[in-house]
Amino acid sequence: MTQFFLDSAWLIPCYALLGAILAVPWSPAIINRTGPRPAGYINMLMTFIAFLHGLLALLAIWNQPAQSVVIPWLQVVDLDLSIPVEMSAVTIGATMVITGLNFLAQIHAIGYLETDWGWARFYSLLALFEAGMCALVLCNSLFFSYIILEILTLGTYLLVGFWFNQSLVVTGARDAFLTKRVGDLVLLMGVIGIYPLSKTWNFSELADWASTVNLDPKVAALVGLALLAGPMGKCAQVPLHLWLDEAMEGPVPSTILRNAVVVCTGAWVLIKLQPVIAISPVAVSAVILIGAVTAVGGTMVAIAQIDIKRTLSYLVSAYLGLVFIAVGTGQIQTALLLLLTYAAAMGLLVMSTGTVIWNSITQDVTQLGGLWAKRPACGLSYLVGAAGLIAVPPLGGFWAFLQLGDSLFTSHPKLFALVLVVNALAAFSLLRVFGLVFGGQAKQMAQRSPEAHWPMVFPMILLMGFTLHVPLLLATWNLLPEWVSVNPTVAASLMLSSAIGGGAAVYLYLSSQVEKPIRFGSKDLQDFFAYDLYTQKLYRGTVVFLVDLISRTISWVDRYIVDGLANLVAFMTMFSGQSLKYNVSGQTQFYALTILLGVALFGFLLSLPILSRLSLIIGS
Amino acid sequence: MELQLQYFLLLAAALFCLGIYGLITSRNAVRVLMSIELLLNAVNLNLMGFSNFIDPIGIKGQVFTVFVITVAAAEAAVGLAIVLSIYRNRDTIDMEQFNLLKW
Repeated sequence: MTQFFLDSAWLIPCYALLGAILAVPWSPAIINRTGPRPAGYINMLMTFIAFLHGLLALLAIWNQPAQSVVIPWLQVVDLDLSIPVEMSAVTIGATMVITGLNFLAQIHAIGYLETDWGWARFYSLLALFEAGMCALVLCNSLFFSYIILEILTLGTYLLVGFWFNQSLVVTGARDAFLTKRVGDLVLLMGVIGIYPLSKTWNFSELADWASTVNLDPKVAALVGLALLAGPMGKCAQVPLHLWLDEAMEGPVPSTILRNAVVVCTGAWVLIKLQPVIAISPVAVSAVILIGAVTAVGGTMVAIAQIDIKRTLSYLVSAYLGLVFIAVGTGQIQTALLLLLTYAAAMGLLVMSTGTVIWNSITQDVTQLGGLWAKRPACGLSYLVGAAGLIAVPPLGGFWAFLQLGDSLFTSHPKLFALVLVVNALAAFSLLRVFGLVFGGQAKQMAQRSPEAHWPMVFPMILLMGFTLHVPLLLATWNLLPEWVSVNPTVAASLMLSSAIGGGAAVYLYLSSQVEKPIRFGSKDLQDFFAYDLYTQKLYRGTVVFLVDLISRTISWVDRYIVDGLANLVAFMTMFSGQSLKYNVSGQTQFYALTILLGVALFGFLLSLPILSRLSLIIGS
Repeated sequence: MELQLQYFLLLAAALFCLGIYGLITSRNAVRVLMSIELLLNAVNLNLMGFSNFIDPIGIKGQVFTVFVITVAAAEAAVGLAIVLSIYRNRDTIDMEQFNLLKW
C-alpha cells in the first residue's frame, strides 16, 4: 500500500497546484458575497494531503535505495528533455519539511490575515510556492531546477507585492524580482554552458561526470561561478542580498515561508551542484568567500537593525552563508542538516515575531519591551527558536554547528574561527531582539499587548514542539555523532561563543545600568551597519546608474537619430514637394519656355556627338 | 553676293527666335498671337527656301506653305476669338492675370 504512495510521490507538488487554482474563485472580483475564507481552508486541506502523502511515501522509502521516475516532457532532435524525479528519503523528507512548514504558515495566516480580503491571491501564491519547492526538491535535473527557480522568482514578485498599494512594497517587489532574476539569468548561462561539456543535466549524472572529467581550469571556473550566481541571488548572499531586506515589506505569513524555506531553494541547488563546483578551486573559494562575507556581514547588520523583521532577514542571509561555507568545504550532509535545523528555528522565530507585530502594530524594537510577562507563548517560542538556531547543546543548531566545526577545525581553522564569530554575533543579535522586545520596561506601543488568538499561537507552539524534537529525530535517524567522536574543543568553543554573544546581549539589553539606546563606538560605524553597508546606494551608484544611463542614451539615440533619419527623409520629400510646386506658376508662357528649354536641351544632347566632332574639325 | 539657301535658313531661324522671344515675354495676348504668326512665317520661309533650292521641280514645299498659311489664318481666327471671350470674362488680356492654375 505504501509503495503506491511512493510511486505517486510526484503528485505531492500537484496537490498544492490544485489548491492554487481552486483558491482563485474566491478573489473579490469573482465571489464577493461570501468572503475569501474558503480559499484558505481549501489550501490548508491540500497542503495537509500533500503532507500525509509525503509521510506515507517516506515510510515506504525508509532505509530503501533512492528510486527514480522519468516523466517525458519534450524531445527535439538530439535533446531529450525528460523530467527525472528522484525519490529518496532526503527528497521526500524535504517535501515534508516544506509542506509541514507551509501548513503551519497557512494556519498562522488564517489568524494573521483575519482582516484582509486578499486570501485568494495570498493562498494561491503560497500554494504556488509550495508546489514549486516540492517540485524543486523532487526533480533531479539542473534544467528543470532552473525552470522552477524562475517560477519561484515570479512567485516572490507577486507575493512580496501582495499589498501593492504601498509604495515600499512595490519597490521591494521590484528589487526582489530583478535581483533574483539577475542571479537566475547567470545561472542559465551556467546551465547552458555545462550541457556541451557534460551532455546531461541530471544531477546524479553530473556528479558522475564531475568525478572523472578533466576540464580546462578556466572553463571549469567560469561554469562554476555562473552556477554559483543563481543560488547567490536566491539565498540573498552578498552582494545580491538587498532584496531580502526589502521583501520584509510583504505579509508575515509569507515571510515565515520565505525565510524558512524559499531562500533554501538556492542552497538546495547549490548542494546538488557541489560536485560540479568542486571541479574548480576558484569557484570553491568563491563559494566560501561569499558565504563567509555574508555570514559576518549579515550578523553585524542584523545587530544594527531596529526593524524586528529585518533583524531576522539578515540572519537568514548569514545562515545561508554558513550553508555556502559548508558546501564550499564539501560537506553536503552538514549543509542539509544545517538547512533542516535552520528552517525549523527560523520559521519559529518569524512566527513568534509576527505574532508580536500582529497586535503590537509597530515593528520597531525600540518601541516594544516588557512583553515576557504578558506574552509567554511568544517569548518561549522566540527563545526556543533562538536556541535552535545558535549552538546551544541539546537543540538542532548545535549538532549542525558541531558537524561543521568538526570538519573545519582541522582543515580550515580560520573558517572555524569565523563560524565561532558568526555564532557569537548571531546569538548577540537574537538575544538583543529578545531583550528589547520581551525584556525591560514596556514602552507605549507594548503597554497593552494581549497574546494573539489560537490560529497564530497554535502553529507557533506546534513548530516549537518540532524544533524541540529535532535532536530526538536526529538521534532516531542516527545522524547524531557518537559521544566519543565529538571533539570536546570544538563543542566547548561553540558553546562558549554562544554564551559570550548571548551573555553580552543579555547584559547590555536587560541590565538597567546600561543606558538605552546603546551606542557602539562611532555613530558612522553604527549607521554603516544600520543602513546595510549602504547597499542601496551602492546599487544606485553602480549597476542601476550604468543601466539607467545606457538606456537613456539608447532611448535618446533611438528617438533623435534613428527616428530622426527616417523623419528627415520624409521631411525632405515634403519640403521638396512644397517648394517644387512653385514651378507650376500658372503662366502659360512659362510653360512654353519650359517646353522650349526642354526641347533645346534634348536637341543639344542629341547633337552632342556631332558638336564634339565639329570642335575637332575646328580645332584641326 | 549670290543668294544662298543658308541665308534664307538663317533669316528664318532669326525670325523664329524673335517669335519665341515675343511669345514668352509679351504680356499682351494679342501680341502673343502675333508672335505665333511670326513663328509660322519663319516656318513658311524655311519651306519656301527648301522648295526653291532643293525641290524646284516638284515644289512640294510651296504646297505645304499654302496649307500652313491657311491653317495660320484659321488659328488666328480661333485665337482671337478665345482672347475676346477671355476679355469679356476677365476684362483684361494681360497674360500674367491668367494664372488660375498656379500651384
